[in-house]
Amino acid sequence: MNLRTLLAQAQDFYALSARSLLGIFHRPFRVRETVEQMDYAGSGSVLIVILVSLFIGMALSLQISTELAALGLKMYTGKIVGIAIIREIGPVAIALTFAGRVGSGMASELGSMVLGHQVDMLRVFGMDVVKKLVTPRVLSATLMLPVLTVIGDGAALFGGYYIAAFVSHQSGSFYWGQIAEIMNFNNIVSGLAKPFLFGFLIATISCYMGLAARGGARGLRQATTTAVVLSIIMIIVTDFLLTQILFLLLGMQA
Amino acid sequence: MIEFQDVTLAYNSNRVLDRVSFTAQFWDRLAFLGGSGEGKTTILKLLLALVRPDSGRIMIDGEDITRLSESQLRPIRRKFTIVFQEGALFDSLSVRENVAYCMREQGALSEEDIDEEVRNLLRKVGIEGAIDLMPEELSGGMQRRAAIARSMAAGEPRMMLYDEPTTGLDPLTAENIGDLISELSAGEPPDRRGSIIVTHDVTAAARVSERFLYLKNGRITFDGDLPGLLNTDDEELKKFIDALFLLR
Ligand SMILES: Nc1ncnc2c1ncn2[C@@H]1O[C@H](COP(=O)(O)OP(=O)(O)OP(=O)(O)O)[C@@H](O)[C@H]1O
Ligand SMILES: [Mg+2]
Repeated sequence: MNLRTLLAQAQDFYALSARSLLGIFHRPFRVRETVEQMDYAGSGSVLIVILVSLFIGMALSLQISTELAALGLKMYTGKIVGIAIIREIGPVAIALTFAGRVGSGMASELGSMVLGHQVDMLRVFGMDVVKKLVTPRVLSATLMLPVLTVIGDGAALFGGYYIAAFVSHQSGSFYWGQIAEIMNFNNIVSGLAKPFLFGFLIATISCYMGLAARGGARGLRQATTTAVVLSIIMIIVTDFLLTQILFLLLGMQA
Repeated sequence: MIEFQDVTLAYNSNRVLDRVSFTAQFWDRLAFLGGSGEGKTTILKLLLALVRPDSGRIMIDGEDITRLSESQLRPIRRKFTIVFQEGALFDSLSVRENVAYCMREQGALSEEDIDEEVRNLLRKVGIEGAIDLMPEELSGGMQRRAAIARSMAAGEPRMMLYDEPTTGLDPLTAENIGDLISELSAGEPPDRRGSIIVTHDVTAAARVSERFLYLKNGRITFDGDLPGLLNTDDEELKKFIDALFLLR
């Protein structure tokens, strides 16, 4: 692949992202498709998000409380676990889970629709493919990932509480007291701004890769793999950039 | 009127069509013949502007479609309908919903009228009993029939395009599909609906078409009627249509 095709693809990708957003504002509104996608991306992901978050919260709490106990500071477990989860680990881990489950699903579904000529058929019937297929997916991912992040954060904090209270024998009410203390504007904004962007990125990347699928089962595999790998990379990189931007905006210092 | 003027298309470095030109009327019954990978499907996709040529012009009723945007293409595409090789049914929808799809999107008919129309069309293509099945539950022949019904529901196309309509079907089913195709393009020009079928099944093509174009190495090397095709002195083409002779 040379630089020119790479640039052309980047341009196509930005055009698709922009058009998917524009689709929100023009009739006909694809309400049914959007609700369907929200159900698939949101309700369908709740269990796995809770499961993943719960264990991350427990592992994190176990690590941190052990370290802190050696310093005689284990009552601060809640504070550290809480900040780590709300600002950083929750949004990223849940976005990665989402990319694996929903992003791959979007890429493979659209990819097989392309390869089976279903997308061509929609174009022949005069449908706007971006509006019909991409906008509902982008919208649902952008709205559902933040919701899932709130749910997942809750599960992770609960996992942290379980370890703190029943394994590390700390006071449960003190743990929750600390969590309440860190629920300030800065932390909540830091934690909730990210999933909106992550959801948007995962959906646009996955839809783009799906629609660009060519060449049979092998092409489908390639499209799905690329969608997930690119999503993961973009989540991690954007997370770092976004953290810096948020630090700047919220006036925090490292 | 359909005109291909020096149409050239390459995928990466693989030149599929090399300055292809031909003209046809909407009521013509054409068949594109050629081996695998000779660019038959590509011709249909070009005609619907699903892919764009690298150079050359494609004129539909005097309008060059190679430069039109997706929304400008809408009225052009409405003149055609296509039945893809595998049917290309929407696999998350039942046969009923597939056939009803365009009517629902256009929103002009009531649900009862749509249901009535769906039944009529399915009766016409002979798979009324499959109305509530999902695409994956249909045999290859039934999928193609359902796809034909769906295309008919999209409006009043002036020309039907078929990609390998009989490939992979048993001879009897292939004959039935052939009859259906003939029926949909029955009548006298210029009042009838034309058809283009692209296929390597010469028998099927001979059954439903009057004009034959043979694609070889990106060029049209034969363009003529059935007697001309049978008496060709092109060695390549002779070999290709041997199957037809054998059947006679
Ligand atoms: N999207 C694509 N990207 C790259 N190459 C393609 C693409 N579509 C088709 N080709 C190539 O273009 C050539 C012509 O393809 P086309 O599908 O038109 O052939 P065909 O005559 O319909 O063949 P078949 O009888 O196998 O259906 C083939 O060599 C194919 O590999
Ligand atoms: Mg083909």
